[in-house]
Amino acid sequence: MKLVTAPEWVLKVENLGKVFGNLSKHGIENTGPEAGTSKDSVTGAIVAAWDVSFEVAAGEALGVVGESGSGKSTVMRCIAGDQAATAGSVKIRTAPDEQLDIFNLSAAERRQLRVNKIAVVYQDPAEGLEMNVTAGGNIASPLTAAGWRNFSAIRGRASELLSRTEVPLNRMDDAVKSFSGGMRQRVQLAKAIANRPPIVLFDEPTTGLDASVAAGVLDLIRGLLEEYGLAAVVVSHDFSVIEMLTTRCIVMNHGRVVESALTDQLLEDPHHPYSQKLVSAARA
Amino acid sequence: MTQQSIEQHNVVLEVRDLYKHFYLHTIDSRCVEALNGVSLSVAAGEHVALAGTSGAGKSSLLKSIYRTYKPTSGSVLLKLDTTTFVDLVSLTDAELATLRGTKIGYVSQFLRAQPRRSPFDIVMHAGIQRGMDRQTAKDAAAHSLQRLNLDEVLWDVSASMLSGGEKQRVNLAAGTISPPQLLLLDEPVSALDPANRESALELIGTLTSQGVAVLAVFHDIEAMRRLASRIIVLRNGRVDYQGSPEDALTNLEGVAR
Repeated sequence: MKLVTAPEWVLKVENLGKVFGNLSKHGIENTGPEAGTSKDSVTGAIVAAWDVSFEVAAGEALGVVGESGSGKSTVMRCIAGDQAATAGSVKIRTAPDEQLDIFNLSAAERRQLRVNKIAVVYQDPAEGLEMNVTAGGNIASPLTAAGWRNFSAIRGRASELLSRTEVPLNRMDDAVKSFSGGMRQRVQLAKAIANRPPIVLFDEPTTGLDASVAAGVLDLIRGLLEEYGLAAVVVSHDFSVIEMLTTRCIVMNHGRVVESALTDQLLEDPHHPYSQKLVSAARA
Repeated sequence: MTQQSIEQHNVVLEVRDLYKHFYLHTIDSRCVEALNGVSLSVAAGEHVALAGTSGAGKSSLLKSIYRTYKPTSGSVLLKLDTTTFVDLVSLTDAELATLRGTKIGYVSQFLRAQPRRSPFDIVMHAGIQRGMDRQTAKDAAAHSLQRLNLDEVLWDVSASMLSGGEKQRVNLAAGTISPPQLLLLDEPVSALDPANRESALELIGTLTSQGVAVLAVFHDIEAMRRLASRIIVLRNGRVDYQGSPEDALTNLEGVAR
């Protein structure tokens, strides 16, 4: 009998792998943190991620940390469906009787998942938004995809979402390309939560913003995580973001998970040599 | 201690042969030994004070119990209900995170305030983590902050603006918003003025008498004398001595000074 039960997972990633190019016979053994490279020296293939596993429950945010090129965003993109994974599985269970193995779904079903189950907030708002379309129009697109048809209802919901993410409503009918970086990110957040998806993936959501603007966006994300009880994955190389948003973390290096830990434990007592290097660099 | 004797003494926390060694890979793979086989127990309604010189392992012990430090070996048994104990060392991170919010209060010397979060918000969220609904948590947060005399004008400012003593009171208010089963205190009153120190100590004493098991580090002997039911002296990461406050403090005057 289990004595302590953590909340059940909503998102479960098992042995996820992504290789660009063709692997040689010993390509996996010859890459990774021990080898100090992600590149298969025989064929030149890049092992961007391998054997990555984690679970996230509702109301929980998991951090993915590591330096550029460690495979963080690759993992995110494989879950989101922006890239096809080479190996492993991703399961979601957003209702008690549901269990979807998302790599087994058809392309149409995968697209539907992105409408109401999994949302992604990208570092670059241009990836998540149509820059030539208005803020209202950008938010309308997931709503219409989810079956909303009534114009005034869509507008009402869009303005509700924009107020929630603190975008001035008098900018609703302006093209997003005329917005500042911070405001674009707020529109992206409004779009992400439009259909109240249970899972949201954040890929460096505040990187590239001014400190003061980043702070506001972070506060907003923290508020949304709490209010909606989201299962969230937060990819960031910034420990202050990780510390503020997450309770648990995985550390990636050369495409592999080298450590998983409670966030406070990772910051105060990192075990893997790479984690120690990363934490001491950030805290110096 | 056998399972049976744990029950007899109404033990809430049982630490067995706990080791914590740090391997510093970035500094010539040096090994720092913080804890070298600590065994102790704390019963419900008991206040155990940890004493010893700095570097003896007091804070490391508290952090290893809370698992901010991951113990190298040994076990940390926490009582869940009348007959079951769980080993915190063997839990998964997610399981531990669940348990932390509900059963264990940890108050450190410093408030690592999340930026731009208000004292009220911090304390209220501690209540929500303990399983209160929003409204109950709001009321409890107000009560908790009042009890520690934190001026109401400070409740909604950013906690990082507060003074050291104010932060400590926010920390205490969050850790004690409802009586946890186990309360870990790491110099929780070190920055408080005499009047505020008095109400903080009174609060800790009240919680103990309500049945909370307290394991604490205080740097002042006066606080220990007043609150502790037992004192454990650590030395080089081991239990050096334990006894009643009277005996231990006489013994300690020589060690700590």
